[in-house]
Amino acid sequence: MQKSTIQFLLINCFLAIVLVSCGSVTKNYTPKKLDKTAIEVPYFADANADYVYKTNITVYGHEMSGVFIAKKINDTTHRVVFTTEFGNKLLDFEIAEKTFKVNSIVSELDRKILINTLTEDFRILLKKDFLIQEQFENVDFNIYKSADDSRDNYLFFSKKDQKLEKVVRSSKTKDKITITFTLENDNFAKKVVILHQNIKLKIELNYFKSE
Amino acid sequence: MKTKLYIFLFLNVFSISIFAQEQKMNDAEIAAFKQDVNVVSKKIKTLSTDFVQYKHLDFLSKDIETSGKMVFKEPALLSWQYKKPYNYSIVFKNGKILINDEGKKSAVDIGNSKIFARINKLIIGSVSGNMFDDKEFTISYFKLKGQNLAKFVPKDATLKKYIKQIELTFDKEEATVVQVKLLESSEDYTRIVLKNKVINAKIDDSVFTN
Repeated sequence: MQKSTIQFLLINCFLAIVLVSCGSVTKNYTPKKLDKTAIEVPYFADANADYVYKTNITVYGHEMSGVFIAKKINDTTHRVVFTTEFGNKLLDFEIAEKTFKVNSIVSELDRKILINTLTEDFRILLKKDFLIQEQFENVDFNIYKSADDSRDNYLFFSKKDQKLEKVVRSSKTKDKITITFTLENDNFAKKVVILHQNIKLKIELNYFKSE
Repeated sequence: MKTKLYIFLFLNVFSISIFAQEQKMNDAEIAAFKQDVNVVSKKIKTLSTDFVQYKHLDFLSKDIETSGKMVFKEPALLSWQYKKPYNYSIVFKNGKILINDEGKKSAVDIGNSKIFARINKLIIGSVSGNMFDDKEFTISYFKLKGQNLAKFVPKDATLKKYIKQIELTFDKEEATVVQVKLLESSEDYTRIVLKNKVINAKIDDSVFTN
Protein backbone atom coordinates (compact mmCIF):
# COMPACT_ATOMS: atom_id res chain seq x y z
CA MET A 1 0.00 0.00 0.00
CA GLN A 2 2.74 2.34 1.04
CA LYS A 3 4.77 1.33 -2.03
CA SER A 4 1.91 2.14 -4.39
CA THR A 5 1.42 5.51 -2.69
CA ILE A 6 5.07 6.36 -3.28
CA GLN A 7 4.74 5.27 -6.91
CA PHE A 8 1.62 7.38 -7.27
CA LEU A 9 3.42 10.41 -5.84
CA LEU A 10 6.42 9.86 -8.10
CA ILE A 11 4.24 9.62 -11.18
CA ASN A 12 2.38 12.74 -10.12
CA CYS A 13 5.64 14.64 -9.59
CA PHE A 14 6.87 13.47 -12.95
CA LEU A 15 3.65 14.55 -14.64
CA ALA A 16 3.80 17.88 -12.85
CA ILE A 17 7.36 18.45 -14.11
CA VAL A 18 6.40 17.46 -17.66
CA LEU A 19 3.34 19.69 -17.61
CA VAL A 20 5.26 22.66 -16.23
CA SER A 21 8.11 22.30 -18.72
CA CYS A 22 5.77 21.81 -21.68
CA GLY A 23 3.25 24.32 -20.31
CA SER A 24 0.71 25.95 -22.54
CA VAL A 25 1.89 28.97 -24.53
CA THR A 26 -0.63 31.05 -22.60
CA LYS A 27 0.66 30.10 -19.17
CA ASN A 28 2.09 33.56 -18.53
CA TYR A 29 -1.03 35.38 -19.65
CA THR A 30 -4.09 36.19 -17.63
CA PRO A 31 -7.40 35.12 -19.20
CA LYS A 32 -9.80 37.95 -19.84
CA LYS A 33 -13.43 38.26 -20.90
CA LEU A 34 -13.67 38.30 -24.70
CA ASP A 35 -14.34 41.87 -25.90
CA LYS A 36 -14.53 41.07 -29.64
CA THR A 37 -14.95 38.02 -31.83
CA ALA A 38 -13.28 39.27 -35.02
CA ILE A 39 -10.25 41.42 -35.83
CA GLU A 40 -9.27 43.04 -39.10
CA VAL A 41 -5.59 43.60 -39.80
CA PRO A 42 -5.12 46.37 -42.39
CA TYR A 43 -1.35 46.23 -42.97
CA PHE A 44 -1.48 44.44 -46.35
CA ALA A 45 -5.18 44.85 -47.14
CA ASP A 46 -5.32 47.89 -49.45
CA ALA A 47 -5.94 46.70 -53.01
CA ASN A 48 -4.64 50.01 -54.36
CA ALA A 49 -1.27 49.78 -52.64
CA ASP A 50 1.94 48.22 -53.97
CA TYR A 51 3.69 46.80 -50.91
CA VAL A 52 7.41 46.91 -51.75
CA TYR A 53 10.04 46.04 -49.15
CA LYS A 54 13.82 45.62 -49.22
CA THR A 55 14.34 42.18 -47.75
CA ASN A 56 17.07 40.44 -45.83
CA ILE A 57 16.80 36.73 -45.17
CA THR A 58 19.03 34.87 -42.73
CA VAL A 59 18.75 31.12 -42.95
CA TYR A 60 21.08 28.90 -40.90
CA GLY A 61 23.80 31.55 -40.98
CA HIS A 62 23.47 32.27 -44.70
CA GLU A 63 22.34 35.69 -45.78
CA MET A 64 20.46 36.71 -48.86
CA SER A 65 18.75 39.89 -49.85
CA GLY A 66 16.31 41.14 -52.41
CA VAL A 67 13.00 42.89 -52.85
CA PHE A 68 9.69 41.60 -51.50
CA ILE A 69 6.59 42.73 -53.38
CA ALA A 70 3.00 42.02 -52.38
CA LYS A 71 -0.26 43.19 -53.89
CA LYS A 72 -3.85 42.31 -53.18
CA ILE A 73 -5.18 41.18 -56.56
CA ASN A 74 -8.74 40.29 -55.54
CA ASP A 75 -10.89 39.83 -52.39
CA THR A 76 -9.15 36.64 -51.34
CA THR A 77 -5.75 36.58 -53.01
CA HIS A 78 -2.36 38.30 -52.81
CA ARG A 79 0.33 38.12 -55.45
CA VAL A 80 3.76 37.82 -53.82
CA VAL A 81 6.99 38.27 -55.77
CA PHE A 82 10.57 38.15 -54.54
CA THR A 83 13.28 39.59 -56.80
CA THR A 84 17.00 40.32 -56.58
CA GLU A 85 18.05 43.99 -56.37
CA PHE A 86 18.78 43.74 -60.11
CA GLY A 87 15.15 42.88 -60.69
CA ASN A 88 15.40 39.18 -61.55
CA LYS A 89 12.35 37.34 -60.30
CA LEU A 90 13.24 34.56 -57.86
CA LEU A 91 9.74 33.51 -56.94
CA ASP A 92 6.20 34.48 -57.85
CA PHE A 93 3.28 33.13 -55.76
CA GLU A 94 -0.44 33.68 -55.53
CA ILE A 95 -1.58 33.13 -51.95
CA ALA A 96 -5.12 32.91 -50.60
CA GLU A 97 -6.50 31.61 -47.29
CA LYS A 98 -6.79 28.03 -48.46
CA THR A 99 -5.07 27.90 -51.82
CA PHE A 100 -1.79 28.88 -53.33
CA LYS A 101 -0.23 28.79 -56.74
CA VAL A 102 3.40 28.99 -57.82
CA ASN A 103 3.57 31.14 -60.96
CA SER A 104 7.33 30.75 -61.15
CA ILE A 105 10.33 29.89 -59.00
CA VAL A 106 14.03 29.61 -59.85
CA SER A 107 15.30 26.04 -59.65
CA GLU A 108 17.70 26.86 -56.77
CA LEU A 109 14.72 27.71 -54.53
CA ASP A 110 12.36 25.07 -55.83
CA ARG A 111 12.21 22.94 -52.67
CA LYS A 112 8.93 21.78 -51.20
CA ILE A 113 9.96 22.53 -47.60
CA LEU A 114 11.00 26.08 -48.51
CA ILE A 115 7.82 26.75 -50.50
CA ASN A 116 5.66 25.41 -47.64
CA THR A 117 7.53 27.49 -45.05
CA LEU A 118 7.29 30.70 -47.05
CA THR A 119 3.64 30.08 -47.89
CA GLU A 120 2.79 29.66 -44.20
CA ASP A 121 4.74 32.83 -43.32
CA PHE A 122 3.21 34.95 -46.06
CA ARG A 123 -0.29 33.64 -45.38
CA ILE A 124 -0.21 34.88 -41.76
CA LEU A 125 1.54 38.10 -42.78
CA LEU A 126 -1.08 38.93 -45.41
CA LYS A 127 -4.13 37.65 -43.52
CA LYS A 128 -6.74 40.32 -42.91
CA ASP A 129 -9.60 38.62 -41.02
CA PHE A 130 -9.02 36.78 -37.78
CA LEU A 131 -11.85 35.11 -35.81
CA ILE A 132 -11.20 35.32 -32.09
CA GLN A 133 -12.03 32.59 -29.58
CA GLU A 134 -10.18 33.60 -26.43
CA GLN A 135 -8.62 36.66 -24.89
CA PHE A 136 -5.72 37.20 -22.48
CA GLU A 137 -3.52 39.97 -21.21
CA ASN A 138 -0.09 40.56 -19.75
CA VAL A 139 1.55 43.77 -18.55
CA ASP A 140 1.98 45.32 -22.01
CA PHE A 141 -0.50 43.61 -24.31
CA ASN A 142 -4.09 42.57 -24.87
CA ILE A 143 -3.75 39.17 -26.53
CA TYR A 144 -6.35 37.57 -28.81
CA LYS A 145 -6.30 33.91 -29.74
CA SER A 146 -7.43 32.90 -33.23
CA ALA A 147 -7.53 29.19 -34.10
CA ASP A 148 -6.07 28.35 -37.51
CA ASP A 149 -6.07 24.68 -38.53
CA SER A 150 -3.86 22.77 -36.09
CA ARG A 151 -2.17 25.96 -34.91
CA ASP A 152 -3.25 29.10 -33.09
CA ASN A 153 -2.41 32.66 -33.98
CA TYR A 154 -2.03 35.08 -31.07
CA LEU A 155 -2.51 38.75 -31.88
CA PHE A 156 -0.71 41.14 -29.52
CA PHE A 157 -2.23 44.63 -29.24
CA SER A 158 -0.18 47.09 -27.21
CA LYS A 159 -2.11 48.47 -24.25
CA LYS A 160 -0.43 51.83 -24.76
CA ASP A 161 -1.89 52.64 -28.19
CA GLN A 162 -4.13 49.65 -29.10
CA LYS A 163 -2.02 48.79 -32.17
CA LEU A 164 -1.28 45.28 -33.38
CA GLU A 165 2.46 44.89 -32.77
CA LYS A 166 2.96 41.18 -33.29
CA VAL A 167 1.35 37.95 -34.34
CA VAL A 168 2.65 34.74 -32.81
CA ARG A 169 1.80 31.40 -34.40
CA SER A 170 1.95 28.55 -31.90
CA SER A 171 1.23 24.92 -31.34
CA LYS A 172 -0.43 24.08 -28.02
CA THR A 173 2.92 24.16 -26.25
CA LYS A 174 5.41 26.11 -28.36
CA ASP A 175 5.69 29.34 -30.31
CA LYS A 176 6.64 28.59 -33.91
CA ILE A 177 6.64 31.89 -35.79
CA THR A 178 6.67 35.48 -34.54
CA ILE A 179 5.82 38.36 -36.86
CA THR A 180 6.64 41.81 -35.46
CA PHE A 181 5.37 45.04 -37.00
CA THR A 182 6.87 48.53 -36.74
CA LEU A 183 4.19 50.93 -37.85
CA GLU A 184 4.34 53.98 -40.07
CA ASN A 185 0.68 54.72 -39.37
CA ASP A 186 -2.46 52.83 -38.29
CA ASN A 187 -2.78 50.99 -41.58
CA PHE A 188 0.76 50.47 -42.68
CA ALA A 189 3.89 48.69 -41.40
CA LYS A 190 7.23 50.22 -42.41
CA LYS A 191 9.13 47.27 -40.99
CA VAL A 192 8.22 43.62 -40.53
CA VAL A 193 10.30 40.85 -38.98
CA ILE A 194 9.31 37.22 -39.42
CA LEU A 195 11.21 35.06 -36.97
CA HIS A 196 11.01 31.27 -36.78
CA GLN A 197 11.52 29.63 -33.41
CA ASN A 198 11.94 26.02 -34.55
CA ILE A 199 14.22 26.63 -37.55
CA LYS A 200 16.95 29.23 -37.95
CA LEU A 201 15.12 31.50 -40.31
CA LYS A 202 14.59 35.24 -40.06
CA ILE A 203 13.02 37.43 -42.73
CA GLU A 204 13.29 41.19 -42.36
CA LEU A 205 11.24 43.53 -44.55
CA ASN A 206 11.94 47.27 -44.75
CA TYR A 207 9.53 49.35 -46.79
CA PHE A 208 11.06 51.62 -49.39
CA LYS A 209 9.40 54.37 -51.32
CA SER A 210 10.04 54.26 -55.02
CA GLU A 211 11.51 57.53 -56.29
CA MET B 1 -12.50 38.92 -102.71
CA LYS B 2 -12.73 42.69 -102.67
CA THR B 3 -13.53 42.67 -98.96
CA LYS B 4 -10.51 40.48 -98.33
CA LEU B 5 -8.35 42.92 -100.20
CA TYR B 6 -9.67 45.84 -98.16
CA ILE B 7 -9.05 43.96 -94.93
CA PHE B 8 -5.56 43.14 -96.11
CA LEU B 9 -4.86 46.75 -97.02
CA PHE B 10 -6.38 48.01 -93.80
CA LEU B 11 -4.29 45.62 -91.69
CA ASN B 12 -1.19 46.58 -93.61
CA VAL B 13 -1.73 50.30 -93.12
CA PHE B 14 -2.64 49.66 -89.50
CA SER B 15 0.45 47.59 -88.82
CA ILE B 16 2.69 50.08 -90.56
CA SER B 17 1.32 52.88 -88.40
CA ILE B 18 1.86 50.81 -85.26
CA PHE B 19 5.39 49.80 -86.09
CA ALA B 20 6.42 53.01 -87.77
CA GLN B 21 8.70 53.73 -84.87
CA GLU B 22 10.45 50.39 -85.03
CA GLN B 23 11.71 49.55 -88.51
CA LYS B 24 13.79 46.52 -89.37
CA MET B 25 17.32 47.25 -90.60
CA ASN B 26 18.51 45.85 -93.90
CA ASP B 27 21.77 43.90 -94.14
CA ALA B 28 23.88 46.92 -95.10
CA GLU B 29 22.46 48.93 -92.21
CA ILE B 30 23.13 46.06 -89.79
CA ALA B 31 26.74 45.83 -90.93
CA ALA B 32 27.25 49.58 -90.62
CA PHE B 33 25.61 49.69 -87.20
CA LYS B 34 27.67 46.79 -85.82
CA GLN B 35 30.80 48.39 -87.21
CA ASP B 36 30.00 51.72 -85.47
CA VAL B 37 29.30 50.04 -82.12
CA ASN B 38 32.41 47.87 -82.33
CA VAL B 39 34.66 50.83 -83.07
CA VAL B 40 33.27 52.76 -80.10
CA SER B 41 33.21 49.84 -77.67
CA LYS B 42 36.79 48.88 -78.55
CA LYS B 43 37.87 52.35 -77.46
CA ILE B 44 36.20 51.98 -74.08
CA LYS B 45 38.83 51.47 -71.38
CA THR B 46 36.68 52.84 -68.57
CA LEU B 47 33.07 53.81 -68.41
CA SER B 48 30.98 55.34 -65.66
CA THR B 49 27.31 56.17 -65.87
CA ASP B 50 24.33 57.03 -63.72
CA PHE B 51 21.37 54.72 -64.12
CA VAL B 52 17.70 54.55 -63.26
CA GLN B 53 16.17 51.11 -63.03
CA TYR B 54 12.44 50.55 -63.55
CA LYS B 55 11.13 47.15 -62.49
CA HIS B 56 7.88 46.56 -64.30
CA LEU B 57 5.55 43.89 -62.96
CA ASP B 58 2.25 43.77 -64.76
CA PHE B 59 0.14 43.47 -61.60
CA LEU B 60 1.66 46.50 -59.87
CA SER B 61 0.15 49.96 -60.24
CA LYS B 62 3.59 51.58 -60.56
CA ASP B 63 7.07 50.51 -61.67
CA ILE B 64 9.58 50.09 -58.85
CA GLU B 65 12.22 52.74 -59.37
CA THR B 66 15.77 52.50 -58.03
CA SER B 67 18.86 54.40 -59.12
CA GLY B 68 22.61 54.63 -58.74
CA LYS B 69 25.94 54.53 -60.51
CA MET B 70 27.73 51.95 -62.60
CA VAL B 71 31.49 51.90 -63.19
CA PHE B 72 33.41 49.60 -65.54
CA LYS B 73 37.14 49.28 -66.07
CA GLU B 74 38.90 46.99 -68.50
CA PRO B 75 39.25 44.07 -68.65
CA ALA B 76 36.55 42.94 -66.21
CA LEU B 77 36.12 45.19 -63.19
CA LEU B 78 32.51 46.16 -62.65
CA SER B 79 30.75 48.02 -59.87
CA TRP B 80 26.98 48.35 -59.78
CA GLN B 81 25.88 50.63 -56.98
CA TYR B 82 22.31 51.45 -55.96
CA LYS B 83 22.07 54.70 -54.02
CA LYS B 84 18.34 55.34 -53.92
CA PRO B 85 16.15 54.43 -52.16
CA TYR B 86 18.63 52.09 -50.50
CA ASN B 87 22.40 51.56 -50.52
CA TYR B 88 23.38 48.30 -52.12
CA SER B 89 26.43 47.63 -54.21
CA ILE B 90 27.78 44.65 -56.05
CA VAL B 91 31.31 44.45 -57.44
CA PHE B 92 32.57 41.85 -59.91
CA LYS B 93 36.29 41.47 -59.41
CA ASN B 94 38.84 38.69 -59.99
CA GLY B 95 36.30 35.89 -59.99
CA LYS B 96 34.56 37.24 -56.89
CA ILE B 97 31.31 39.03 -56.26
CA LEU B 98 31.57 41.53 -53.41
CA ILE B 99 28.30 42.72 -51.93
CA ASN B 100 27.74 45.66 -49.61
CA ASP B 101 24.16 45.77 -48.38
CA GLU B 102 23.65 48.92 -46.26
CA GLY B 103 27.10 48.37 -44.74
CA LYS B 104 26.70 44.61 -44.38
CA LYS B 105 29.50 43.08 -46.45
CA SER B 106 29.78 39.67 -48.02
CA ALA B 107 31.71 37.95 -50.78
CA VAL B 108 30.86 35.10 -53.11
CA ASP B 109 33.61 33.21 -54.87
CA ILE B 110 32.47 32.62 -58.41
CA GLY B 111 35.85 31.44 -59.67
CA ASN B 112 34.61 28.66 -61.88
CA SER B 113 30.93 29.42 -62.00
CA LYS B 114 30.06 29.53 -65.68
CA ILE B 115 26.70 31.18 -65.16
CA PHE B 116 28.22 34.09 -63.22
CA ALA B 117 31.01 34.49 -65.73
CA ARG B 118 28.30 34.72 -68.32
CA ILE B 119 26.29 37.26 -66.30
CA ASN B 120 29.41 39.37 -65.85
CA LYS B 121 30.07 39.27 -69.59
CA LEU B 122 26.44 40.05 -70.25
CA ILE B 123 26.37 43.14 -68.03
CA ILE B 124 29.60 44.50 -69.45
CA GLY B 125 28.41 43.67 -72.96
CA SER B 126 25.05 45.35 -72.31
CA VAL B 127 26.57 48.57 -71.10
CA SER B 128 29.41 48.80 -73.61
CA GLY B 129 27.18 47.53 -76.40
CA ASN B 130 29.59 44.87 -77.59
CA MET B 131 27.36 41.85 -77.39
CA PHE B 132 26.94 40.81 -81.02
CA ASP B 133 27.70 37.16 -80.47
CA ASP B 134 25.65 35.07 -82.87
CA LYS B 135 26.66 31.88 -81.09
CA GLU B 136 25.04 33.07 -77.85
CA PHE B 137 22.07 34.98 -79.21
CA THR B 138 19.62 35.22 -82.04
CA ILE B 139 19.89 38.93 -82.82
CA SER B 140 17.52 41.23 -84.66
CA TYR B 141 18.12 44.88 -85.56
CA PHE B 142 15.76 47.85 -85.76
CA LYS B 143 15.82 51.57 -86.46
CA LEU B 144 14.07 54.09 -84.23
CA LYS B 145 13.93 57.87 -84.38
CA GLY B 146 17.50 58.94 -83.54
CA GLN B 147 18.23 55.53 -82.08
CA ASN B 148 19.05 51.96 -83.01
CA LEU B 149 17.68 48.91 -81.30
CA ALA B 150 19.14 45.41 -81.07
CA LYS B 151 17.14 42.49 -79.64
CA PHE B 152 19.00 39.48 -78.27
CA VAL B 153 17.27 36.16 -77.63
CA PRO B 154 19.53 33.78 -75.67
CA LYS B 155 20.24 30.41 -77.26
CA ASP B 156 21.39 28.78 -74.04
CA ALA B 157 18.54 26.98 -72.25
CA THR B 158 19.75 27.92 -68.73
CA LEU B 159 20.04 31.59 -69.55
CA LYS B 160 16.72 31.51 -71.37
CA LYS B 161 14.99 30.40 -68.17
CA TYR B 162 15.87 33.75 -66.59
CA ILE B 163 15.91 36.10 -69.53
CA LYS B 164 13.58 35.81 -72.49
CA GLN B 165 15.10 38.71 -74.38
CA ILE B 166 17.55 41.56 -73.94
CA GLU B 167 16.93 44.80 -75.78
CA LEU B 168 19.71 47.36 -76.13
CA THR B 169 18.85 50.83 -77.36
CA PHE B 170 21.75 52.83 -78.85
CA ASP B 171 22.14 56.51 -79.47
CA LYS B 172 22.53 56.75 -83.25
CA GLU B 173 25.24 59.43 -83.20
CA GLU B 174 27.40 58.13 -80.37
CA ALA B 175 26.77 54.40 -80.98
CA THR B 176 26.60 53.82 -77.21
CA VAL B 177 23.91 52.13 -75.14
CA VAL B 178 21.28 54.42 -73.63
CA GLN B 179 18.82 51.80 -72.40
CA VAL B 180 18.93 48.13 -71.41
CA LYS B 181 15.69 46.19 -71.20
CA LEU B 182 15.66 42.68 -69.76
CA LEU B 183 12.46 40.80 -70.49
CA GLU B 184 11.64 37.86 -68.22
CA SER B 185 9.82 34.78 -69.39
CA SER B 186 6.49 36.31 -68.46
CA GLU B 187 5.53 39.79 -69.64
CA ASP B 188 7.50 41.44 -66.85
CA TYR B 189 10.70 43.31 -67.46
CA THR B 190 13.49 45.44 -66.00
CA ARG B 191 14.30 48.65 -67.88
CA ILE B 192 17.58 50.43 -67.12
CA VAL B 193 18.14 53.92 -68.47
CA LEU B 194 21.77 55.05 -68.62
CA LYS B 195 22.62 58.75 -68.43
CA ASN B 196 25.54 61.12 -67.77
CA LYS B 197 27.88 58.62 -69.36
CA VAL B 198 31.63 59.33 -69.12
CA ILE B 199 34.00 57.29 -71.27
CA ASN B 200 37.70 56.78 -70.55
CA ALA B 201 38.00 59.04 -67.51
CA LYS B 202 40.71 57.89 -65.10
CA ILE B 203 39.19 55.45 -62.63
CA ASP B 204 41.13 54.20 -59.65
CA ASP B 205 41.01 50.48 -58.77
CA SER B 206 39.89 51.42 -55.27
CA VAL B 207 36.43 52.11 -56.74
CA PHE B 208 36.08 48.35 -57.02
CA THR B 209 36.43 47.59 -53.33
CA ASN B 210 33.39 47.26 -51.18
